[in-house]
Amino acid sequence: MNRGAKTIRAKKIAVMVFVCLIAAVFFGCSDAGIQSALNPKSSQAARIAVLWWVMLSVFTIVLLIVMVLLAAAVVRGSKDGEPTELSEPQKRNMVLIGGVIIPIVVLFIFIGYSVFVGRYTAGVPSDVPITIEIVGHQWWWDVRYKVEGRHLDVRTANEIHLPVGVPVKFVLQSRDVIHSFWMPNFQGKTDLIPGRKNYTWVTATEAGVYRGQCAEFCGLQHAKMSFVVISEPEEEFYAWLERETQPAREPVTPEQVRGRDIFQTASCTMCHTVRGTTALAEVAPDLTHVGSRRTLAAGTLPNTRGHLAGWLSNPQSIKPGSRMPNLYLSNEELEALIAYLEHLK
Amino acid sequence: MSESLFEQESHHDTKYVDDARHVEDVDLLEETWNPPGGFLGWFKIVNATYIGRRYVVTAFCFFLIAGILGLLMRLQLAQPEMRILDPDLYNQIFTMHGITMMFLFAVPVMEGLGAFLVPLMIGTRDMAFPRLNAFGYYVYLLGGITLYVALFLGIAPDAGWFNYPPLANLEYSPGMRINIYAMLITFIEIAALVAAVEIVVTIFKQRAPGMSLNRMPLYVWSLLVTGFMIIFAMPVVMVGSMFLAFDRSVGTHFFETLSPAGQGPLLWQHLFWFFGHPEVYIIFIPALGIISSIVTTFARRPVYGYTALVLSIVATGFLGFALWVHHMYTTGLPQLGLSFFTAASAMIAIPSGVQIFCWIATLWGGRPVFKTPLLFVLGFFFIFILGGLTGVMIASVPFDAQVHDTYFIVAHFHYVLIGGAVFPLFGGLYYWFPKLFGTMLNETAGKLSFALMFIGFNAAFFPMHNLGLMGMPRRVYTYIDGLGWNDLNLLATVGALTLGVGVLVTVLNALLSFKFGALAGENPWDADTLEWATPSPPPGYNHSPMPAVHGLHPMWDMKRDGVRPIVTGVREDVRQVVTTTLMDARPQALSNLARPSYAPLMLAGAVGVAFIGFLFSLWWLAIGFFLSFFIIVYWNYPSEDERTPPWNTEEESEAANRRDAEKNEEDTADGR
Amino acid sequence: MAVEAKDLPMKVAYDVRHLSHFNYHDEAPLWWGFWGIILIETTVFASLIASYFYLNLSYPEIPPAGVKTPDLLLPTISSLFLFSSSYTMHKADSASEKGDNTTLKWFLIFSILLAAVFLILKYIEYSNVEYSWDSHAYGSVVWAIVAFHSTHVVSLVLKTIFVTYLAWRGYFNERRHLGVTVNGIYWHFVVVVWLPLYLVLYWSPRLF
Repeated sequence: MNRGAKTIRAKKIAVMVFVCLIAAVFFGCSDAGIQSALNPKSSQAARIAVLWWVMLSVFTIVLLIVMVLLAAAVVRGSKDGEPTELSEPQKRNMVLIGGVIIPIVVLFIFIGYSVFVGRYTAGVPSDVPITIEIVGHQWWWDVRYKVEGRHLDVRTANEIHLPVGVPVKFVLQSRDVIHSFWMPNFQGKTDLIPGRKNYTWVTATEAGVYRGQCAEFCGLQHAKMSFVVISEPEEEFYAWLERETQPAREPVTPEQVRGRDIFQTASCTMCHTVRGTTALAEVAPDLTHVGSRRTLAAGTLPNTRGHLAGWLSNPQSIKPGSRMPNLYLSNEELEALIAYLEHLK
Repeated sequence: MSESLFEQESHHDTKYVDDARHVEDVDLLEETWNPPGGFLGWFKIVNATYIGRRYVVTAFCFFLIAGILGLLMRLQLAQPEMRILDPDLYNQIFTMHGITMMFLFAVPVMEGLGAFLVPLMIGTRDMAFPRLNAFGYYVYLLGGITLYVALFLGIAPDAGWFNYPPLANLEYSPGMRINIYAMLITFIEIAALVAAVEIVVTIFKQRAPGMSLNRMPLYVWSLLVTGFMIIFAMPVVMVGSMFLAFDRSVGTHFFETLSPAGQGPLLWQHLFWFFGHPEVYIIFIPALGIISSIVTTFARRPVYGYTALVLSIVATGFLGFALWVHHMYTTGLPQLGLSFFTAASAMIAIPSGVQIFCWIATLWGGRPVFKTPLLFVLGFFFIFILGGLTGVMIASVPFDAQVHDTYFIVAHFHYVLIGGAVFPLFGGLYYWFPKLFGTMLNETAGKLSFALMFIGFNAAFFPMHNLGLMGMPRRVYTYIDGLGWNDLNLLATVGALTLGVGVLVTVLNALLSFKFGALAGENPWDADTLEWATPSPPPGYNHSPMPAVHGLHPMWDMKRDGVRPIVTGVREDVRQVVTTTLMDARPQALSNLARPSYAPLMLAGAVGVAFIGFLFSLWWLAIGFFLSFFIIVYWNYPSEDERTPPWNTEEESEAANRRDAEKNEEDTADGR
Repeated sequence: MAVEAKDLPMKVAYDVRHLSHFNYHDEAPLWWGFWGIILIETTVFASLIASYFYLNLSYPEIPPAGVKTPDLLLPTISSLFLFSSSYTMHKADSASEKGDNTTLKWFLIFSILLAAVFLILKYIEYSNVEYSWDSHAYGSVVWAIVAFHSTHVVSLVLKTIFVTYLAWRGYFNERRHLGVTVNGIYWHFVVVVWLPLYLVLYWSPRLF
């Protein structure tokens, strides 16, 4: 008996430890996070976050009640002396109320609330002025912008700009395998399925720099298929869009000119586009304004000179299996190419 | 109803017998039933207890291997940008971890334990189709070994256990890897299916006389429901994987993306999850039976709410088939349809609620005995309820959109599968080890193992909830620094190692106890079901004499009445069992079971030639098909004594006529 | 304390020595086992039909544009052969229950011949369709259904040849005929399951 009681005490302590853990883990470190559903920055993500906190609170109470009942059942039985029996109707009521009635009531409310939230988050409105077309590739994101009433030719990659306070519609497609488009701070994920078009929408509520990532396993480099999300005030957004519509800047210094020539003679043009030059292929990220982007290799590296050099000289060591081949450039060629690419702001 | 029904049934004079030797010739029984000896004899064995044990041991080996793969993944993810595994190996390992745990551990171990326990529990001598049982085991073993050979050759499947096309199509996954997935999943499912049919038929037809459906132990009920679920779920994934195999080998277009609506990739998802979701319940429902057995025994009283528990198990089985779309919430299906699946997914919590409160009510007034099996069941309560609650959360379409394919899901399903199946299974292992191997497991080591596993499990998987919410997707071989994931990942790795040590303690405990453990008597736990009415480990013929049943708790009834009801008149010189009616388990006929044979091994080999050969050439499929036909003929060829006339002795046909007359009488008495 | 069954006196609750070990129909585990197989196969055929309609959802009509709607005449005739084999198998079955070995033998052979005619007509039909399994998704799923069902008919024929051989050797009699019964059940299943497949393959293109 004594040993039994000890085990129960140990069990109780264990339960308490985990209750504290729940508190620590969920309440402690929840509001930082540039890729976190617990740090919502859009009206869609905010509603889902509220749904989560409500469910967490209610279900924690449910778990605690059941655990207390279980502990009570076990402790009563193991105490010395005759254990107090429940009468047959008491047992029946316990099963009926605890196992059927309360769950039905709770689940009914839960389903209603969930459908209510879902109708908002999945209800992509039809009259949205800004549309962003995303095409998933192994392992990067192709991004195009469409604004109602304007003729735009804006194509970029692995970077999404959102105006604060304006609903934006996304059209999601894939060119190869299934990917899933996920910006945790802004919206739940939606799959990109080849042969299909899916839709989602986002109304950003706060400016900042966040991160998104592919959430459907898509092959060797699924882990390194991320992107940057920049939410910014409307006027900044349109200013950025205006810059993006421009063709690529002409090289200025001799080194940049040499860089452009290398770009056009090496295999770069087989895959990449630089608008305003002869490079017009679409199987790899558009590099027209690559110098102004924040990351390289689909959110894998910060876009600095050093990382760009590392990426260009040996992409396969950074992202094994990537479609970007090793270029085997000499140091001098590499320097020139970097100078050109950095100039493409 | 129980007592009066029985009185009606036995219109023979009551005879009391003191010695089993007066009832049956046990020596002859042993000669008939004991498995053939010698090394080659090992391949002829068909007895369910032996095959069941092989299943359990093999499945545990695969569990340990897959566990090691899991630990390797945890080491790789302990910190950002680790380089322990390269992405290619990581993808093979996470795929093999999933395939092994689902196809080579969870389902086989549950079916194998069932193959061992069900005949004992329902008081029969073997399963209905002993050779089929052995065949299933060899298929499973061959399939499992082939998959691991592929892993060591570096050509293991690498597109996840869910294996979505188009990633799994030839275009994006050239080479042997996905072929191996497609062929071997189909192949291994054959084993699961034959075991399922076997279990269902055995339960239907071979229950001890008197064990009407309402006297069937809950464990047997759970296996019955599982059997049916396998029958309806597994063929669907076999169709899917054969389609995939044909896409990859002869250029069919099932999962290609040519069509404008992209039906191909979604067809796979529907087929896969129509199987994949019930699969979870196929693993979980036998665990419900294990828990019911353990709770009954260690609370020292009948489980409360037998009928409610049976109904809730059946309801879980049905609802399990109505949920598959909740794996596809993010694929852009219409919202209205998704709401239905939200409701269905949430409603499956109700039968679980009934089960949990029935067990609490059982424990409430009892005097629980805190042996290791009960501890694992108590651990189950916490872990499984937590996992069930997160399960309700992800039934919500908008919330699932955030956590789908993240570590939140990894946490959720490890809570339901490890909590809902592995903890009960370990409890079951401690509970039935004496019956399986004849010795008791060490209690102290058992409690230590439980503590380590419980703490390690929670430390490993609880933080993953938060990792998922903080944006960490599943199936990533690495992650970058600066996202706030590092500490939680490290904690998870430390927890996983602790969990591994806990499992290791049980493994050592099992090995040492097998060799040095205290001998278990027939009924070390004072349990209530019939598997405890026979020596540990049970002899080849399971029971002698064969038991009859008067109530839900036969052993406790015997204890109360001081007498053991038996069945006489079963022949000792052939492998004969009584078949009984489906509902009331009235004796109906005698059934002669198959003798040991090499045919199961040969057929497994031939089917293996068809499926594994298909990896190389389509011709092997045809060769295997015809080879199988000839082996099936050999398998079913009537034995010498069946072929030689006179097949029908005077005596036998007289007995049969008498039986027909009696049957007519009974039918008239029933007013039919 | 724990009670061990071996220490207790025994009471004979049932004596079963009068029961026959020739099992008929639902007495036999084998009979139930065959129903198990039939349930599995039904699930397979249901998945095939579901896949057929699901894949065809992506086309505006069945079959897709450019593919000829399948002819009705030949498949209907061949189906009639298959359906009538169910009748001959039924005759064989009832003959075996009466112990009429001669009738049993001949009706088993009639059934095999009818199934063989079905297979030959199927072969003629599908060697003349203008698409193949690798032409398009419609072709893949149609070929899968036909090939899967025909494989069943082939194995049915092989199995029945074995049963006929045993019948020829005089193995079956009025008590021992479970082998014929379960073979018959499976035969009827393979025939009956062709009806929905026939409707799906040849009539659904005319309805949608």
